[in-house]
Amino acid sequence: MKGKLSNIFRVGAGLLLISSTILAHHGTSGYDMEKVITLNGTVTSFNWSNPHCLVHIDLKDSKGDVKDWIIELAAPTLMSRNGWTKDSLKPGDEVIAETHPAKNGATTGLSGASTALLKFVVNGHELPYR
Amino acid sequence: MPKCKAKLNILLSMIALFSSAAHAQTNAPTPSAKKQEAQNVARVPDFSGSWAVTGGAPSWDPSDPRGTKPEGLPMTPWAVERFKAARPPFGANGTFEAVNDPVQKYCDPPGITRLYNYPWNFALIQTPRVVYILYEFTGLWRPIALDREHPKNPDSTWLGDSIGRYESDTFVIDTIGFNDKTWIDQVGHPHSDALHLVERFRRLDHETLELSVTFDDPKAYTKPFTGKRVFKLSFAPLEETVCSLSEMQSFDDEVMKTTTQTPRK
Repeated sequence: MKGKLSNIFRVGAGLLLISSTILAHHGTSGYDMEKVITLNGTVTSFNWSNPHCLVHIDLKDSKGDVKDWIIELAAPTLMSRNGWTKDSLKPGDEVIAETHPAKNGATTGLSGASTALLKFVVNGHELPYR
Repeated sequence: MPKCKAKLNILLSMIALFSSAAHAQTNAPTPSAKKQEAQNVARVPDFSGSWAVTGGAPSWDPSDPRGTKPEGLPMTPWAVERFKAARPPFGANGTFEAVNDPVQKYCDPPGITRLYNYPWNFALIQTPRVVYILYEFTGLWRPIALDREHPKNPDSTWLGDSIGRYESDTFVIDTIGFNDKTWIDQVGHPHSDALHLVERFRRLDHETLELSVTFDDPKAYTKPFTGKRVFKLSFAPLEETVCSLSEMQSFDDEVMKTTTQTPRK
């Protein structure tokens, strides 16, 4: 099932990656940390490697075109301390993912840092988040 | 002839035995060194455990640990020039574009004080003559000698020459002999090869470790300054976190550049 992009703008400290959280090898200047959007799509790949784990998600936009979204998470050691594994996501999984979108409108987003992680629901099951 | 051969073998064996004993005696600690070692063991505070970085403090400026005004650290003209040339990924001047952070761009060693800014753990391994600090990030480790002074003319290295001592409940580390290729923190503050670093570790309670770091670098800063960090005991063992240049470059191409390009239509 092709997913759709739904924008749910929420500004609230509890739903954001806390600004004081420690990011790994770079900061957040490329992302809009005041905004959270929700992506509803299909995982095409999950790269469990340094410096950041990356999730590729296929979404169909309002025109019916499929867009490849790249979601950045924390490094593998930090994700595993948050309860994830390299098998938490697999190609073909249906996912609903929260993310801070890129400021320039690119289909990239930031969803995970060392001590904070936005919500991912995979095939109806919630992955650990904080 | 067989009797001669047997006697020769016995003689050779005795020579080997006494040589081994003599070698062991030559490298054995002297009585005074042994006594000092015993005293060291008796008064050593325990820093064992894996320690986790807490809080988001990318800057070592004690008045601005979050790096909101990184230009506020009292730098010399030499340091200001280097600071202005830095394009760090963190803090008020943080950017995704043309970042020249030596760790991100080259996987260069982060430098001692910057290691405490990353969200990875470290551990102190205490032996009578040397303490080793193992850093999870990039797998760096450093020895701190307890039984000598600094060499008169140390080499300039990434992590410097460290000597240490215990002062009651505090472990004091004195380090000189740095090269000037690292940043002291995540927001691009430089240091020179004249940096003299003093770290003080103190365990506040079983689960809390405090680190105080004094930066004395007259070539880069107009006066010394001291920053503090607090770490919490972690049950996570140290794990591999390698800085791979190929992985960094792949991430840069896939994410960093995409997030700084003109929006797609």
